Amino acid sequence: MVPLQDEVTETLVVRARDGDDAAWARLVERYSAMLWAIARGYGLCDADAGDVVQTVWLRLVERLDGLRDPSAVGGWLATTARRESTRLAARRGRDLPPSVAPPAAEPGPPPDQVVVARERVGQVAAALSALPRRCQTLLRLVAQAACHAELAAALRIPVGSVGPTRARCLATLRRLVG
Amino acid sequence: MNEDDLLAHVRAAFEMLDPVPRSVLSAGRAAIGWRLPSAALAGLTGDRDGPVAAGVRGGTARTLTFTCPGLTLEVEVTGAGRDREVSGRLVPPAPALVEVRHPDVPPGGLTARAGPGGLFCLPCVPEGPVSLVLRLADETSVVTSWIRL
Repeated sequence: MVPLQDEVTETLVVRARDGDDAAWARLVERYSAMLWAIARGYGLCDADAGDVVQTVWLRLVERLDGLRDPSAVGGWLATTARRESTRLAARRGRDLPPSVAPPAAEPGPPPDQVVVARERVGQVAAALSALPRRCQTLLRLVAQAACHAELAAALRIPVGSVGPTRARCLATLRRLVG
Repeated sequence: MNEDDLLAHVRAAFEMLDPVPRSVLSAGRAAIGWRLPSAALAGLTGDRDGPVAAGVRGGTARTLTFTCPGLTLEVEVTGAGRDREVSGRLVPPAPALVEVRHPDVPPGGLTARAGPGGLFCLPCVPEGPVSLVLRLADETSVVTSWIRL
């Protein structure tokens, strides 16, 4: 039997629909980071982003039996998260858009491989914070292995624009990282 | 750095600076507990804010509309905190037992009865995710889509 964590999404949806709570938990683990990233992309604070993610999962539960195409659930989740985020951001009056804050530079760490890797992550984080928010969100989702349909739904752009947008954001990030 | 390395660093940066809180994951896992496959779903078709009807205490009211084949539920939410009140109307009018579903409310802990006119009122509805279950006279049930109060 295929281990649950490697099951394709469609199988997880069908199994969850048949009452397999472990399959549901796996779906939640697979997609919550995407939903969180989308909510963050709208500048929502921790509490509001958490509310969006929870609402999206509750919405999927109510739709589970009526879902026409279980393999397309990622796109459905992304669309629902975007709509819920827009709604909540509008209710909040679009205040205080937080961004990824670059971590403070640590002076004189020992030249050890782990530290070098951490510094590299710090550089990438600093570069990300200089990008437009939509680019940040797109790259975050790409890094989480979101597919083109999910990216298109999350950012509300045509599927055909995903490739060029992705390339442009990556090139800008690469330039900033140096 | 090749593209895969760069993206791995992007992932690591977000995991370090803005991880998904555990509580968010556990709320997602718990969501499946609210499944009620036997009930028809009334989807949200309207959500707007407006002034409270004249003669009622001031402030704004949020009006929500839920629809499923053969039934529309109009809900008005007024007040805030402990004074939050949810009043509703079934169209066409029908008697029903209305139950609030909310993670902090035990099952059956907050209910109201809609009379033959289809009107009901639920006082003290806490903030957070809310869905209403309507148990109709013919023993069928309708659940509303989850909304956040």
